[in-house]
Amino acid sequence: MSAETLRVRVLQAASVLALFAAWEGVARAGWVDPLFVPAPSAVARAFGRIGGSALAGLGDTLLKTAVAYVLSVVFGVAFGVAIGSVRALREVLSPFVVAVYGMPKILVLPWIVLILGFGTAPAIVYGTIHGFFPILVLVIGGVRDVDRTLVTVARAFGASTWQLYWKVLLPAIVPTVLAGMRLGIVFCLLGVLIVEMFAGVRGMGHVMGSLANGFQAPELFAATALVSAASIAIVLALDTLNDRLSHWRG
Amino acid sequence: MRVLALRAAILAAFLLAWEGTARAANPLLYVPPSAALPALARLLTLDSYPDLVPSLLLTLREIAIAYGLAIAAGLGCGAALGLNRVIGRAYAPILGALYAVPAVVWYPSLMLFFGLDAASKIAFGFLLGFFPITLAVLAGIRQVNPHMLAVARAFGARPPTVFVKVMIPAMMFTLVGGLRTGLALSVIGVIVGEVLGSKSGMGSLINHAYGLFRTADYVALVLVTLALVVGSDAIASAVEGRAQRWSE
Amino acid sequence: MSDLIAVEHVGKQYQTSSGPVEALHDVSLAVGAGEFCTVIGPSGCGKSTLLGMLGGLVAADSGRVLVDGRPVTAPDPRRVATVFQEAGLFPWRTALENVEFGLEVQGVPRERRRAVATELLGPLGLRDFGAKYPRELSGGMRQRVAIGRALAIDTQIILMDEPFGALDEQTRLLMGEWLLDIWRRTRKTVVFVTHSLHEALALSTRVVVMTARPGRIKSVLELPMPYPRAMESPEMAALRARLWGEIRDESRRAMGER
Repeated sequence: MSAETLRVRVLQAASVLALFAAWEGVARAGWVDPLFVPAPSAVARAFGRIGGSALAGLGDTLLKTAVAYVLSVVFGVAFGVAIGSVRALREVLSPFVVAVYGMPKILVLPWIVLILGFGTAPAIVYGTIHGFFPILVLVIGGVRDVDRTLVTVARAFGASTWQLYWKVLLPAIVPTVLAGMRLGIVFCLLGVLIVEMFAGVRGMGHVMGSLANGFQAPELFAATALVSAASIAIVLALDTLNDRLSHWRG
Repeated sequence: MRVLALRAAILAAFLLAWEGTARAANPLLYVPPSAALPALARLLTLDSYPDLVPSLLLTLREIAIAYGLAIAAGLGCGAALGLNRVIGRAYAPILGALYAVPAVVWYPSLMLFFGLDAASKIAFGFLLGFFPITLAVLAGIRQVNPHMLAVARAFGARPPTVFVKVMIPAMMFTLVGGLRTGLALSVIGVIVGEVLGSKSGMGSLINHAYGLFRTADYVALVLVTLALVVGSDAIASAVEGRAQRWSE
Repeated sequence: MSDLIAVEHVGKQYQTSSGPVEALHDVSLAVGAGEFCTVIGPSGCGKSTLLGMLGGLVAADSGRVLVDGRPVTAPDPRRVATVFQEAGLFPWRTALENVEFGLEVQGVPRERRRAVATELLGPLGLRDFGAKYPRELSGGMRQRVAIGRALAIDTQIILMDEPFGALDEQTRLLMGEWLLDIWRRTRKTVVFVTHSLHEALALSTRVVVMTARPGRIKSVLELPMPYPRAMESPEMAALRARLWGEIRDESRRAMGER
């Protein structure tokens, strides 16, 4: 480990420790209202109290997220390839895609809830919508940016349209699809959590909302930490997968 | 020209399809365009929601404050991370990890701390806008060609001069992109915060209409909010264009 | 020698933002089997367009192109293989898999195409590099893979569009020698586009000189000399002077245009 790396690690560890120590100190000294800012020790204890229900909620959220994720990846890639590879489609539809992509999806959420009611269905639908658009836009860009020479080479060697898609286009956009998948998971999870907070009966979003309403600060912090950790773990796993699959790119 | 005509045709077909299916299925729930337009008129004449203007202004104010704070903190943190190698290497990964967390998980804590007033929306908008700006400043600094800096120093330029005259123009493109994304996210943060629970602002009006099943009014409110979003992005885009021309 | 390739009064126009541009004007050319025909000319003279027509990638606006007596309307990988200036290797495929590509497209079974490609690695000088990815190979190696890919489908004709253009001079010279060796062994018909006078004189049996845009055939030089060529001999020096004389004016015209 180089000298600089050592300093970096020390700085990171020291900052985290200092932060927690200061936080605990400030809370114990009574400088902040424990109703709003609980001490780390209180949060740690709260883990035990809500452990069961929090994990159940997290599991519920992750299940809905998984379904939404699969849907948004499948549709995002399919439509992305279709629109991106046909120049006419891409030119005509581009502004529509960009417009809908840039629209805050939360504006349609109340409407979705009115139609689908509370519970699982709106969470999956909204989560899918949330993840679909970033993936779609990314894949369209990726398909559009495929090196023209590769397509010319394939045609020169007599590749049929089907072979062009299968042997050139799809392998060429693997990095883009992976990037989209990496992006999509966060968006899907975000969408599901939002629905759970807005109109949920189960799931982490609902749990956190109830805890907030009940002014249960330590439990809320514990739940927040739990979801954050889960999210970071998932993204890290995807990043590792990404690295493994990209060995040819260098 | 043909492309424009095709787009117009697609738009028209979409609106027609909407009109048709909405009327056939449940016009109250699905709000065909023919119901949405009168509702929009009622809204803009302050008929359906007399406090439209104060709500709109409040939302705009929340966005402005949230974004302003995000810029200040983002530029500062980004510069600190970018200019000092050790600090950058230490904290950038932590920032990246936090960015991987869906921002809405912070919102219940913010609501608990700040209540349902504007403060929690501003805080949330700030949080959302802060990350892309910081990361853009960091990325911008990192991608500055070290040769350019070496040349500047070789000509005797001091660090502040190097920063202003070489670094800032070199990272302008990345920086402005980050600022634009930051604005879009701050806007979304404020709106999400309002919809998820607030007593005032556009989001609360939307919630109100939704709760009373006033779907047509709800659609009208959404359209007005959309105009706000599009407008802010258009302004950002114009500023981005200006900045790019200036930096060339 | 029968004419394997016949180009008859071919013309081509492109639409650009500043109006139509004539790339080729009434170009006629014949290439016999087993020849190494070089097409040389200034930038923008349409030589790549001409090659594209031979390969079935570009359609002529007027006139026609015949290969083996048949008009060319689309790429025909059973008769014609192409090598491009940017090697155009698929980055997600190893060198071996890239060489196999043409065979794969034609549906050749796995074992057979693996065998063909592996056997080619030897003459390509890439015996130990079959499992490497393009990013791990030098520019010269990548072009050899591209040429290997063209050789693998065993066509009678190979078209090459400035294949050594992106390489440094020393690599170019070595690649030229290597290519000559391969050509003499496989007896294929090669149409070779280049900027380089040296390559034209060292490699070809015939040199076709094109004018600046709109491209026409200015002259054709026959080079019946044996291989390997003594480039310093008085005969070659005279030819070189003559060739440069033909090209120089065209190059100046092309430069002046810009």
